[in-house]
Amino acid sequence: MTNRSRPRPLACILGLTLIAGGQTWGSSPLTDKTDALLSTMQQEMQRAQTSLSKLDPAPYFLSYSVYDQSASVAIGAQGGLLNFTRTRRRWADVTMRIGSAALDNTHEQSRASAISSGVLALDDDHDAIAHELWRLTYEEYRKASKAYSNVKTGKQVHVEEEDTSPDFSQETPQSYSDYRDLAPAPDRPSLERMARQYSAYFRKYPYILNSAVVIMAQQTQLHFTSTEGRHVVAPGAIIRLAIEAGTLAADGMELMRVETFQAESLNHLPPESQIAARVEKMASDLKALRDAPVAEPFDGPALLSGRAAAVFFHEVLGHRLEGHRQRGEKEGQTFTKKVNQLVLPEFLSVVDDPTQRTLNGLDLGGWYEYDDEGMPATRVEVIKDGVLKNFLMSRMPITNFAHSNGHGRSQPGLMPTGRQGNLIVSSTRTVKDAELRQKLIDEVKKQGKPYGLFFEDIQGGFTMTQRAMPQAFQVLPVLVWRVYTDGRPDQLVRGVDIVGTPLAVLNRVLVTGDRIDVFNGMCGAESGQIPVSAAAPAMLFSEIEVQKRVHALNRPPILAPPNDVSEKNPGQQP
Amino acid sequence: MTTRKNMTEKLRALAKLSVLVFLLWSLGVPRGLAQSKDWQASAQADPVLQAMRVELERSKTQLKLEAVAAPYYIEYRVIDDDEYSAEAAFGALGNDLRSRFRFLRVVVRIGDYKQDSYFQQGEGSVNIMPLDDDPLALRHQLWIATDRAYKTAAESLTAKQSQLKQLTVDQPVDDFARAEPVQSIEPLAKLDFDPRPWNRMLEDASTLYKTDPQLESFESSLKFQAINRYFVNSEGSVVRSGESYYEMNFVGRSQAADGMSLERDKGFVAKTMTELPSAEAFLSAAKDLAGSLRRMRDASLVDEEYRGPVLFSPNASTTIFADLVGENVLGYKPELGKNGRTTNAFASSYRSRVLPDFLSVIDDPTVATYRDRPLLGKYEIDDEGVRARRVSLVENGILTNYLIGRQPIRDFPTSNGHGRARIPNNPAGPSLGNLIVTSSEPRSAEEMKKKLIDLCQQRDLPYGYFVDSFGSKLAPRLIYKIWVKDGHEELVRGALFGDLDTRSLRNNLIAAGDDFYIKNRLLNIPHSIVAPSILFDELEVKRANQSKEKLPEYPPPLVSN
Repeated sequence: MTNRSRPRPLACILGLTLIAGGQTWGSSPLTDKTDALLSTMQQEMQRAQTSLSKLDPAPYFLSYSVYDQSASVAIGAQGGLLNFTRTRRRWADVTMRIGSAALDNTHEQSRASAISSGVLALDDDHDAIAHELWRLTYEEYRKASKAYSNVKTGKQVHVEEEDTSPDFSQETPQSYSDYRDLAPAPDRPSLERMARQYSAYFRKYPYILNSAVVIMAQQTQLHFTSTEGRHVVAPGAIIRLAIEAGTLAADGMELMRVETFQAESLNHLPPESQIAARVEKMASDLKALRDAPVAEPFDGPALLSGRAAAVFFHEVLGHRLEGHRQRGEKEGQTFTKKVNQLVLPEFLSVVDDPTQRTLNGLDLGGWYEYDDEGMPATRVEVIKDGVLKNFLMSRMPITNFAHSNGHGRSQPGLMPTGRQGNLIVSSTRTVKDAELRQKLIDEVKKQGKPYGLFFEDIQGGFTMTQRAMPQAFQVLPVLVWRVYTDGRPDQLVRGVDIVGTPLAVLNRVLVTGDRIDVFNGMCGAESGQIPVSAAAPAMLFSEIEVQKRVHALNRPPILAPPNDVSEKNPGQQP
Repeated sequence: MTTRKNMTEKLRALAKLSVLVFLLWSLGVPRGLAQSKDWQASAQADPVLQAMRVELERSKTQLKLEAVAAPYYIEYRVIDDDEYSAEAAFGALGNDLRSRFRFLRVVVRIGDYKQDSYFQQGEGSVNIMPLDDDPLALRHQLWIATDRAYKTAAESLTAKQSQLKQLTVDQPVDDFARAEPVQSIEPLAKLDFDPRPWNRMLEDASTLYKTDPQLESFESSLKFQAINRYFVNSEGSVVRSGESYYEMNFVGRSQAADGMSLERDKGFVAKTMTELPSAEAFLSAAKDLAGSLRRMRDASLVDEEYRGPVLFSPNASTTIFADLVGENVLGYKPELGKNGRTTNAFASSYRSRVLPDFLSVIDDPTVATYRDRPLLGKYEIDDEGVRARRVSLVENGILTNYLIGRQPIRDFPTSNGHGRARIPNNPAGPSLGNLIVTSSEPRSAEEMKKKLIDLCQQRDLPYGYFVDSFGSKLAPRLIYKIWVKDGHEELVRGALFGDLDTRSLRNNLIAAGDDFYIKNRLLNIPHSIVAPSILFDELEVKRANQSKEKLPEYPPPLVSN
């Protein structure tokens, strides 16, 4: 509920909550037959099913998911290591459905009643694992059966809902096993070295007040088994480097830059020279932003870089294409009744393809083989030639979409919902990227505006999809330039907020660039933090509305920073 | 089993060796330096202290906004917390984690000792410090936190003054007590050990679930910490100290046939690894606990009503004194505009009776042992840079003092060295050290039991109660009926007290034993409570009205052997 209105930053920094463990699962290749964890899960699930089927009400579906997660996190600031933590956990989720697929305990607001979570033994101790699963299962039965009786009563006292789809989709069982280790666990010294090295760059820039470097390496192995007779074993790996730096403008406005690099393994990250160059650019951007004028409210032509457009589409479009948002009685349902209608300009198409592992040589963060409901990931054409065709579906059906398309995703401990994986926007009306600037100038002249805006980078934002909130969105542009028509150089401005309603803005794309940019990030919503990717070409909008951002009035620090050698710094020796 | 025993013994020997090395080292050069006038040399050799002193000096002389007064007091406190924790359930390790952070708290005070900015946000700012000893990286975090602390102090002083204008304060006390600067550099604590044998102890204890199918869970855990504290202030105090803490616990849960949930736990805590139980002792204590859960399951419920004498073991007694005396002797200053002396039950009890006249209570952080047994609450200098002092709190039943730090309360203008801070970076405040309860009329255990029975007889009661230990919130965990007819003890369950409070402590406590128990507690501020067994002539014992859970819907999995 409240989750829906909370910020959903693509560029989530310091994601410590998500993090967990450091060793790998042992090097000997396992198979389904030698997988002790899987066989314990299956045995204990069978025993639970047999025992609970004698009760009234009896569950009609039970699944066990175990996420074996190893994570290492190093945090640095000003060249010093703030912390290194390495953990390994085995998160177990027991999911139970009572009633029938048509109506069960997950109905409407009681979705969380279907899941109970705990932590399992780290080694394959059959007795320990079986006991913990038993404990979680009978606790879950109590929760689910109570919720089911509430759901049944609710049905009696409320009028029929608009969407009468069942609560759970019927799917054909299939199993899958992939026992690969996707990436070796990075060693502690190299992570610590990166945290120290990249955070030390900011020492050269005394005007940067706050800075931090977080590097997180996480490997996950998913074990899933359900009473439908399927099981899934699938790997996941992510390494994420987030660099954050902030300063204050003279008027007290806080200015922030964040750069993230995300890949499957350490050696897929860009070379150090490239990261160093981006850090240098962060520093120079911040210096320029400090001196930049505050943006004025503006309504006119704007050009979004590929990365900015990708974030924009993730927030403004992607979240509204998530299946479960089409049936919630509290959801705004922007697109629910627009299937087979034009929702974007005809030259734009959107797919969400979790099966695509790389794009333009970059690892895509939203890659996975099986989703968190044990369904195979599939490429979904959500919008074809501007026409809405499909939604991102978990196993919660909606009118006319009875099946999952492998987008049921969650972090351990939360019920999966339809989520984005790799959202890719493509265009058939393109010009060379180099020509887009001129197109912007032409449009500005045509509209008789004094200037247009170029959004070089957008930091993510939040989007409200609930009915009780205005159907608006807000993203946080961090690098915005005024582009003049008279040949003056572009002028950086600060304190810009984009405002507007989604349907209107999306139809104002005039033309796009010819090269697709990728933005990898962590996305948070009801079902938790998950890695995603968004990709789009640069886009020219006929009109984007911006407002001044509300900002704090903080004075810059009184004393010169300790690393500022240009000013007198007495008191070196007490 | 034998290899495990050998490993544990080896580890113990190693630990002893390292203690020896540590002692030698601390008695050697650095200690000598610390105690001579040459503390400055040791302070300069410590990069953390050095960075703190450099930034403090800079802030002291230059931190000033045009329209705001300069600070009259600045302090920096860094707590370096290096810890290892592990948990086992159902015989297997589910989690182990080593983590180290350096936490910073900066307090900047504007105004003067009489009235200053220490109020709401003005109570300080926090930050995280690098673990490396790089001077610039350390100083950067200090610099940012100091700037923030000064600015919020300025806002807080204004907020405080405008709030005070609307209040009439009868007996104003100063906001901050003056204190002598202290310089002391103690050796640093280190966390250096092999976790494997300890984790095996946890796994072995939690395997006990196999011995009793009705044990719902049996979990064990440990936390080993090395805590190094660094403190400097603008008055000239420079303090460094290091302590290690080792803690091991287990907790078992079961359900009685009527569904009542039963839980028992036991903990071991020590300042050195050698004081921890051996693998055998740990396992045997876990077995005892599992056995007591079984007995509790079979025990009958307490009667619905009882009013009569109750005897408490020294262990149970420490819980009572911690909750009813320890909490109330802390001299917390009331919030702005409130005129009480403190915020708790003893606020208006100064020089009044709070206990029977045969009992006295002191808090003495300067002692490391009580009758040769280790105390956890020993420290030299508190977290506000004030030397710890022995404080006589209750003399022959009369309340004579409170524990305070540098925030004065009415009639107590100076700190008695009890301003301590919770980990990681909370503000310092009144805290317990070693709270010791003694009786001028100690009685033997036989006498205590006989007195209980005599009292019951006088009132025609067939039995009296004996409380061996408490769970949470003064709810008895192990409680027995002592039958008058033959003196035998019968375990019962589901009891609660109706009126165990400061009033009954003052009026109904009629005797104390010659025995004692030391309760060592970490709870982020390590402290100890020492107390003898005690007898109340009258207390109300009720049946707990707790909801009863269902027994599991289906039996646990069979265990392999």
